[in-house]
Amino acid sequence: MADDLREQIRAFILENYLFTSDPDALGLDDSLLGRGIVDSTGMLEIIFFIEEQLGVKVKDEEMIPDNLDSVNKITNFVLSKRQAA
Amino acid sequence: MSTLLLEALRNSAARNPGAPAIVWRNTKWSYADLVSAAARVSNVLAARGVQSGARIALLMRNSPQYVACYYGVLGAGCAVVALNSHERENVLARQLEHSGAELLIADRDHVEFEPLRRLAAEQGVAVMPISLGDDEHSQSLFAQEFGASELSWAPAAPQDLAMIIYTSGTTGRPKGVMISHGNLAANTAAIIEYLGLHCGDRGLCVLPFHFSYGNSMLHTHLAAGATLFIEDNFAFPQVVLRRMQDEAVTGFSGVPSTFALLLGRCRLQDYDLSSLRYITQAGGAMPRPLIQRLRTELPSARLFVMYGQTEATARLTYLDPADLDRKLGSVGKPVAGVEIQVCDASGRELPPGEIGEIRARGPNIMLGYWRDPQATQQVLRDGWLYTGDLGHKDNEGFLYIDGRAVEMIKVGAFRVSPQEVEEVIAALPDVEEVAVTAIPDELLGQAIKAVIVPRAGKKLNVLQIKAHCREHLAAYKVPKVVEFASSLPRTSSGKIQRFKLA
Repeated sequence: MADDLREQIRAFILENYLFTSDPDALGLDDSLLGRGIVDSTGMLEIIFFIEEQLGVKVKDEEMIPDNLDSVNKITNFVLSKRQAA
Repeated sequence: MSTLLLEALRNSAARNPGAPAIVWRNTKWSYADLVSAAARVSNVLAARGVQSGARIALLMRNSPQYVACYYGVLGAGCAVVALNSHERENVLARQLEHSGAELLIADRDHVEFEPLRRLAAEQGVAVMPISLGDDEHSQSLFAQEFGASELSWAPAAPQDLAMIIYTSGTTGRPKGVMISHGNLAANTAAIIEYLGLHCGDRGLCVLPFHFSYGNSMLHTHLAAGATLFIEDNFAFPQVVLRRMQDEAVTGFSGVPSTFALLLGRCRLQDYDLSSLRYITQAGGAMPRPLIQRLRTELPSARLFVMYGQTEATARLTYLDPADLDRKLGSVGKPVAGVEIQVCDASGRELPPGEIGEIRARGPNIMLGYWRDPQATQQVLRDGWLYTGDLGHKDNEGFLYIDGRAVEMIKVGAFRVSPQEVEEVIAALPDVEEVAVTAIPDELLGQAIKAVIVPRAGKKLNVLQIKAHCREHLAAYKVPKVVEFASSLPRTSSGKIQRFKLA
């Protein structure tokens, strides 16, 4: 299940910011900001994606790089929120 | 006459050498540190035999190192070519070539560094890679790379070229705005005056220094002896807000999308922003409800709505916060030393209420476009800068912006030339023709839409188009919407009707 989620998140970022379906274009630990893959509006779109498509509400204080700056970080964040729910 | 930037920086350092000038991540550079680091850069340039008047390109993110390099280049009598760190290698290489830069000082960790270094070598441009240390060792690292710091700055004259900023143009014809020392000095002084900036101010900057708005924020704070906190990523607005609270920030500047992001997901009342004395907004019209919300949530901060363009160094007008309620929607009146008129096609000044092209004159108006006398003549005529913006004045002389006379898309605060995006898409072999236009966007004001006619029998897909654009253009220039059509709407004379594409 974690793997499916991880790939769903990776696919979203690949399609919307790197415009490809090739998973090799984005490492699971690649920094989305550090690599210039998303900017501030892109990060907002990712937060909408997490809320709308993955059904997890992101609180203000949770919008930090440790939760959102790579595929693995987003995956872990979403999983921990789902477990806590 | 206004104090030139180098002298202003030296004055700030003489008044209070230990005061923090630039704070970035975990590093803090005082005024004395900054002057000494800038002197190192000047010395390196002199040692390399760089002559005064040469162009030196900078490619690095907002950082104290950028600031030291900028002032060091000026100190050597050279001009800064501030490259847009969002751009891709091909655009950067063309700007580098067009500028005739002798040397590129670049962040060795920049994503485009290696390809650009190769392209620069082909052009015969020397490259000096530097490291942007962001901790307590940042200054010793800088000193290692640049060496001695004896100060011997060449005196500059107001009319000397200080900076070239590349603005939206076509890929084949970069448009470099030439800003003189006098331009920078005049605009810096005018902005300091109306904002009332002083050495106790603590500004927080999220705007890139290589654009005019960020550039003006940088120089005004240094000339005022204030402290500038660099926040180089706005992806996490609440991190920025926390920093504003913790550092007791007194000033913050943004474009409409900055404030849309701030107010969209954050509750400002959760933070103690009582130190915030002023907010400035430029870079396009901000929706009135957003202005009202900003004022409600930050009642103690004075909000300055402003208007300007790169060709005017940065600032042309501002609306005094005292007039904000009475004149909501206006961009105010000219800054000190600037004159603004609204004129018709024949150059006749129009009476209040009538819409025409905005023109401006004053000591902040650019020298022209670098190596492009034709483009210069189109906008600098009879002592005026023709802005390409449409507007009108009211009976009290307050200016209102009504649109643009020149086709240009404004994504966030970035001007994008539709032709540049069209050229890139047209380079794909299966594209018969393409037209690009602006569509409304809730967050960014405008977004880019491309309508493409594929060659007969050929199929294209949206991802392929976007990937190609991403490879050749800065991310903000990639069309948000791509559509395919069998033909483009044209006038009877064959001109594409962009407005019908939206």
